[in-house]
Amino acid sequence: MGNTPATALGAMILFVIAAPAGVYGQNHTPDKATIVKSLGQTEFSPYAGRDYPTRVFWGDTHLHTAVSVDAGTMCRLGQEDAFRFARGEEVSTTYGLRAKLSRPLDFLVISDHAEMYGLMPQLLAGDPEILSTDAGQRWYAALTSGNTDAVFGTAMEIVASLSGDEPPIKSSKAVANAWHAYTALADRYNEPGRFTALIGFEWTAIGGYNLHRNVIFRGDANLANQTVPFSQFDSKNPEDLWRHLAAFEERTGGEVLAIPHNGNLSNGRMFTVETFDGNPLTKEIAELRARYEPLVEVVQIKGFGEAHPALSPNDEFAGYEIWDRSNLNGTELKKLEMLRWEYAREALKTGLMLEQKLGVNPFKFGMVGGTDAHTALTAVEEDNFFGKHSGVEPEPNRWKHVVIEAPDPKLTVFGWQQAAAGYAAVWASENTREALFDAMKRKETYATTGSRMTVRFFGGWEFSDQDTKSRLPAGVGYAKGVLMGGDLRSAPAGKAPTFLVAAAKDPYSGNLDRIQIVKGWLDANGEPHEQVFDVVWSGERKPDADGKLPSVGNTVDVRTATWSNTIGTPELIGVWRDPSFDPTQRAFYYARVIEIPTPRWTAYEALRFGVTMPAEVPMTTQERAYTSPIWYTP
Amino acid sequence: VRRLLRDPLLQFLAIGAVLLGLHAAFGGKESDAPAKIVVSAAQITNLEQTFARTWQRPPTSDELEGLIEDFVRDEVYYREGKALELDRDDIVIRRRIRQKMEFFAEDMAVAEPTDGELGAYLATHPEQFRSEGSVSFRHVFLSSKRGEALEADAGEIAAALAAANGRDAAALGDGFLLGGEFSAMRRSDVVNDFGGNFADNLFTAKAGSWQGPIVSPFGLHFVFVSERTESGIPPLEAVRAAVEREWANARRVEKLDEFYRTLRGRYEVVVEAPPTAPRPEEVRGAVR
Repeated sequence: MGNTPATALGAMILFVIAAPAGVYGQNHTPDKATIVKSLGQTEFSPYAGRDYPTRVFWGDTHLHTAVSVDAGTMCRLGQEDAFRFARGEEVSTTYGLRAKLSRPLDFLVISDHAEMYGLMPQLLAGDPEILSTDAGQRWYAALTSGNTDAVFGTAMEIVASLSGDEPPIKSSKAVANAWHAYTALADRYNEPGRFTALIGFEWTAIGGYNLHRNVIFRGDANLANQTVPFSQFDSKNPEDLWRHLAAFEERTGGEVLAIPHNGNLSNGRMFTVETFDGNPLTKEIAELRARYEPLVEVVQIKGFGEAHPALSPNDEFAGYEIWDRSNLNGTELKKLEMLRWEYAREALKTGLMLEQKLGVNPFKFGMVGGTDAHTALTAVEEDNFFGKHSGVEPEPNRWKHVVIEAPDPKLTVFGWQQAAAGYAAVWASENTREALFDAMKRKETYATTGSRMTVRFFGGWEFSDQDTKSRLPAGVGYAKGVLMGGDLRSAPAGKAPTFLVAAAKDPYSGNLDRIQIVKGWLDANGEPHEQVFDVVWSGERKPDADGKLPSVGNTVDVRTATWSNTIGTPELIGVWRDPSFDPTQRAFYYARVIEIPTPRWTAYEALRFGVTMPAEVPMTTQERAYTSPIWYTP
Repeated sequence: VRRLLRDPLLQFLAIGAVLLGLHAAFGGKESDAPAKIVVSAAQITNLEQTFARTWQRPPTSDELEGLIEDFVRDEVYYREGKALELDRDDIVIRRRIRQKMEFFAEDMAVAEPTDGELGAYLATHPEQFRSEGSVSFRHVFLSSKRGEALEADAGEIAAALAAANGRDAAALGDGFLLGGEFSAMRRSDVVNDFGGNFADNLFTAKAGSWQGPIVSPFGLHFVFVSERTESGIPPLEAVRAAVEREWANARRVEKLDEFYRTLRGRYEVVVEAPPTAPRPEEVRGAVR
């Protein structure tokens, strides 16, 4: 009996090998369908049809230089320094430190404030036209006084003036000159395939309530020069900004998009169900928003805007770098009921409700991170963090320096509260303005808190555990599903959505702890809900009776600002099927990837400068990534 | 600001300022005759135009008379104020004058480079334009998740690769999120995805056969390098725009410095010891 199976197998192999000869002997050419069926895949060549993005590109969609009026009060680095730094060159900071990124970025949007664009360098140079204004003269005297307090006070005054009705200094010619100089510079630094300089600016309306947007152009200087930055002096109403963008597209044939940021400091104004004037949202305005705002910046130096512990009490990772005591300038206390109109996860839920009501989802956005640094340095690596503005660049006491001064000292923000975050990851077919812009439009993006991990996220009806064994998970993902930022519609009978999610660590950061999927949905009564699911994690951990996965642990030695990758894992891949799917209910899903604990920038700082910070200053962090959602619509 | 410079009036003013400055520097002497103020026809036209730009109509004769009188008043105060050296300690005036001098010098630096100049710049600053090396390779990946078995497994894979001459390599090892085959990948991208140590080894590995394993943060990789482009200095045609950009920047800095050094050479500078002040706390530690 022992030999029989082997003999039978041998005979079978012979038979199989002999069979095709017979087939070809009949001179019969099989059609593609037959071949594909027997292959179990759509093409023989594993490389055919691989026109999907194979590289993720890293960049910052939000950076200010001396050209911004506020940054210009303290920062001496201009737009050229910003481009050079981002593409990996060494520059000298305002205070003479040498600065360089660990690894170059692939793209950069310099988003200087539209308001009084480029006037600060001209003011500081003593431009007579600007000095002939009252504000110009007073600011000039203060900024050149050499008195640090006077400089900081003036900086704060200038920031406040951005919210006024009339520009304190007005010169449309100077703005146009500065804008043209910038677009020409961006064209010079834009090197397709190596480094992309996307043209953009920040519209900074309702300063204290932070309804700010970064506007990005798909085209070059020829296109961008057909307008000047739309500023809050043109209108403080974001709806007017979208109309302006629509008119620009109509007039020029170009393309633009806008990215709102820091909903966390808007005191309940960023993602509401009303128009700017306080009327119920209309379909027309919801459509405009959906069209021009495909992305939201969910993390940056001024804190986290994805989720808040009070809104997501069951999410143990919701409390990351939270700034929730007031609005941006500390003039209004935060109230609990404001939170739901500020954070991205809530907005995604609100969007489902609005879609049910209006037929359009104004909050159908993907996720990116940005820095919002006002130093011309997009430097948010934990061990290489140059701060929010040039008043808090590296020096021994910056952790206790004021970042934003509020009328009530209790609301003043101090150096240590800055988050060293974040970056935007974009899956594009190549590193060009057009490819990156198109990927942003289709939301094939994710946000990270600064670490550069690779994350793939696909949704479909047919993913199975077998797909995690694929040698090329991305190929399976694109073949069988929709990508991050995509849509699933009309569930096939008896099917629930399945998701293929995978991550590879940043070789220069911590191992991975886990991948989770955040689900939000509307129940039969139209009430929103959310739930966070652990999909795949490192090690042999088992969820406890409540379904909670034990913590991955912590290897950080704060004293030496080091950690070891003895916990966690370099890669994770998993397939998840929604266990509580109801095909009649609207839903969205996105992935969150969490790293093991690593030293926070404050730990590196304490070590380098030999300073001791109080216990309230966090010394460890868990870097993370958030993908754009995939939506299910019945 | 550059554009501002092209404004002919400003250029004229800048040149005037320089001439005045040079005149003063050479110690030109005021004449003893009563000083004369001439309001030229061109100046009057200029006053009229400036007025018209603001008011969208030409000035009446009364208004023009007023403008001229105001111009004379400006001139008188300017000359007398200068004679009293009121400009000396005025930080606004000092900065503005310095800026005009620098604009002037920068303007002198603006030039269209010849091919010869660009070629020479490329030849003397090759590292600024060095192209990155790139590599095409495939790998057999062994995940660190294999744990203690990793080393033994690597031995088996090495034997299999040797025996089959790597023909069935695609079926060996573990799947890898970033893929199994990479085409013309730049060195910086290899560093981004696999780390610097891996990149160093990959760029020195023998091409045309299976090598390794090389360690990365993900595990072990047997690599087959099919093609490698060494980093090198590209010809001028390939990097002309970049060389122009760097040449113009270098020339601007150089001319500005040259101009300043020439002027500085005319002075003997005496720096008196400053009063001793407590030194600010030294910044310790390396900040990258």
